[in-house]
Parts: sequence; structure tokens; C-alpha cells
Amino acid sequence: MRRRTPALVFVSVVVLAWIAWDTSADPVRLARGVPWMLEFFRRMVPPDLSVLPSALRGALVTVEIALLGTAVAAVAALPLGFVSARNVAAPPLFYPARAVLNFFRSVDTLVYALVFVAAVGLGPFPGVLAVIAYTTTSLAKLYSEAIEGIDRGPVDAITATGATRLQILRYGVLPQVLPLFLSYVLYRLETNIRAATVLGFVGAGGIGFYLQTYLRIIDYPAASTVLLVTVAMVMVVDAISSRLRDRLV
Amino acid sequence: MIEVAGLRVALPPAAVILDNVDLTVRAGEFLVILGRSGAGKTTLLRAINRLVEPSAGTVRVAGTPITGAAAAELRAARRRIGMIFQQFNLVRRVSVLENVLAGRLGYVAPVPSVFGHFPAQDRARAMDCLTHVGLAHMAERRADTLSGGEQQRVAIARALAQEPAVILADEPTASLDPQLTGSIMDLLKRINVDHGLTLVVSQHQLETALAYATRIVGLRRGRVIFDGPPSRVTPPVVRDIYGEAPA
Repeated sequence: MRRRTPALVFVSVVVLAWIAWDTSADPVRLARGVPWMLEFFRRMVPPDLSVLPSALRGALVTVEIALLGTAVAAVAALPLGFVSARNVAAPPLFYPARAVLNFFRSVDTLVYALVFVAAVGLGPFPGVLAVIAYTTTSLAKLYSEAIEGIDRGPVDAITATGATRLQILRYGVLPQVLPLFLSYVLYRLETNIRAATVLGFVGAGGIGFYLQTYLRIIDYPAASTVLLVTVAMVMVVDAISSRLRDRLV
Repeated sequence: MIEVAGLRVALPPAAVILDNVDLTVRAGEFLVILGRSGAGKTTLLRAINRLVEPSAGTVRVAGTPITGAAAAELRAARRRIGMIFQQFNLVRRVSVLENVLAGRLGYVAPVPSVFGHFPAQDRARAMDCLTHVGLAHMAERRADTLSGGEQQRVAIARALAQEPAVILADEPTASLDPQLTGSIMDLLKRINVDHGLTLVVSQHQLETALAYATRIVGLRRGRVIFDGPPSRVTPPVVRDIYGEAPA
């Protein structure tokens, strides 16, 4: 292993250098852009607080999209999580379930939003559907890994009492994984708030719609108000969620 | 009470854990299985309620066939076989009483039980069992806040809640401090004598085994090499069971 380290470093540097060339990464161009960025920030100050009510309304919708989507997904992921766990599902269930999870998880929320906007029209509803689509499969994957990590002992003990399979899951497995599940759901809620801020870019509702609109009409003071509200919203949700998570573990 | 015939447990590719074990346990016996670690004690106990699937041979408990039983028959038979584990195997995050109630799972209606509902008479029985092991005052405590000895008592109460005919105990004192060994073994002995339950207990500690057993079975490399009363466990027998030095 150690003998190969210099070769690995060399290969990595060559590959990354080629990628930098391929993506036209250019420090000189970045340096030339700095004054423009400063101008951008200068124009954002002071924020135009007259748009605050609509920004807050947008933020509320974003939080709603994330909350409803995450809540539905948290429940929908339960059966999927169990059939995707190697130690509780029979192989004929397990392998197809895993394949479905990996397929749907490889597409991001924003891509789902494009699909659902086309299917059900503009507004927060396709945003909720997009959050459900991505979060269900990603939570199911996390659930299944939690289930695979459980202590076998209590499961044996419950089995030995003559319990049915469902009772074994309920009394031997669920108490071990439930705190983990709740912690994963809260973590997903945090990431979904962030994901939902950009859903508005593709017409799927929430605060992103306002940000995109103000940037497009070059109203930077209004855009900066929306950005500040977004940052505040994410920080508040993160703080609440991480406090709840600390209590679980 | 327990009839084991020609029992063989083999794990692929090549490990034979138990080989041609014949064993008949009579009602009311306190049978202790002796053997070094790896001799097959745990596997023998787990094959009796089919937590381990035998490769060949038959097991009957209280007249009911265990081997060959369909899922529902096996569950019904398991209700009469309590099991106690070295690591207690309580569900750590729930209350002591809920752990004991799990012993009633085979008797209550499955669907309400999944929603956490148990009939009042089952709750009362669970409480009685907890009283029997002297821990009624801890019913509402979370299981993982109890000491090891207390947890093993809760596990015994869970087994009693099954109204078993037989209790299988797999190294019930191996995870406990030596001074607790006696109290747990005393409790098992009391259950054996007072309730007339048949006990099959695996032990690696020779003195403890001889003090409590009415019958000793010695296992070595998956085979029964001794079967008789404690009085017949002589130094040569001990050498046979443990190899060179007794543990």
C-alpha cells in the first residue's frame, strides 16, 4: 500500500490537471471577475425591505414543501426500508427493492421537480412531489442500513417467545431503530429545506421563485432581501432540528 | 419432555457443530450441559427451539414435534419453551414491563399487539412474573438502566410470562459478576422446584454445574461424551469433557 502512494498521488495530480483544462478552469478569469462580484454585492446594499412580506411568504411555502414532503416520505420509506434490509427481507424481495432504491436515488430533487412541473403544472405541489420522490428512496436506504446494524440478540429473544414475523419486527427491531429513523428524518428535513429553496427556479414553488425573478429583472436590492430571508430560514430550521436530534441519541 | 434424536447441525461448507446427538430430558429435571466453548452447547440449545435449523435429526418438546413443524405450529410450540441468554437480550430502550410483556406475544391477538395493546390479564400476568423475580418496583424503568443481574432477572420473568413447560438457559451467568452467579442459579433452581419446570442450562463453570444439576451432560466437539448424575462426574470425566485442564 505505502509503496504505491507516490504513484497514486502522481496519477491523481495528472487526472485533476486534465479535468481543470477540460472545464476551462482559469484563475486569471476568476481574478478578472472579482471587481464584477464586488459591484454585484455593492448593488445589493441596502436590501429593499419593501419585498420582505413576499419573501417571507415564499420562505413559508418553502418550509411547507420540505415539511410535507419529508413527512410523507418518512412514512412511505418504512416498508421500503424493511424490504431493503438484508437481515429481515427474503432475497426475492431484497434484491429488487435495492435495485429500485438505487435507481430512484440517483436522480436529484430538482430533476424530479422538472418532471412533476411538466406533469401537474406550476406551484408548490410539484415541489412537494419532488421532495417525496427523492426523500422516500434516500430515507429507505438509510432505514435499511440502520436495520442491518441492529443487535441480533433481542430479535432472537422475541423470536423464541413464539412471536409472528410482524411482532418480531415491532418488538425486536423497531425499538432499536426508531431513534435512528427519527434522527435521519430530521437530517433529511434540513437538507430538504435547502433543496426546496431552488425548487422555485423551475417553477415548483417557494422562495426560489422570488430570488430568480428579482435576479432576472436585475433588482439586486430586492434579491438581497430574499437571500437574507433564505439564510435566516435555513439557520432557524437547522438549529431547531439539530437540537431535536441531539435529544434522540 | 424434550426428545432429541440423531441431531446434526452442520454449517456450510465444512463445520459440523453437532453430530448425532441423542438426548431425552425428563419432566422436572435440572439438566446442565457442560463443555468447553465451541463444544456445541449454545447450538444444541438453539436447535431445540429451532433458532438454529438442524441439518438432520428430530426434536420433540412436550410431545410436539419441533423439527418439521410448519411456521404456525413452530410458533405455538415455542410459546412453551422459554429461553434465557448469556447477554440477557432485552430490548434496551423500552421499559422493564414491556420486555416482560413480550413473553405474552405468542398468546395475544397479533394485530392489537403490533399497536402496543395487550389485554389486562396479560399485563397482570407480566406483572406477576416481575414480582416473582423481585423486580416489580422497577416495572417502569428503561431496561438498559438496570444492572446486569437485574436484567437477567427481567429476562427470566419474560421467559416465565410464556407459561413455559421448559426453560432453556444459555450460559445465564457468564456475563455476570461471580457473586451474582449464585443468585441467578438459585432463582432458576426455585423455578425448577416450585413450578416443576424442566430446565436445560449450559454452563462452562464446573462447580456451579455440579451444585445445581440433577443431571449432567458433557459435550465435546459436538458429541455427547457423558450423561449421568453429578455424583458420577469424576476427575477422568472432567478431563474427557474439558480436554487437559478443567476450566
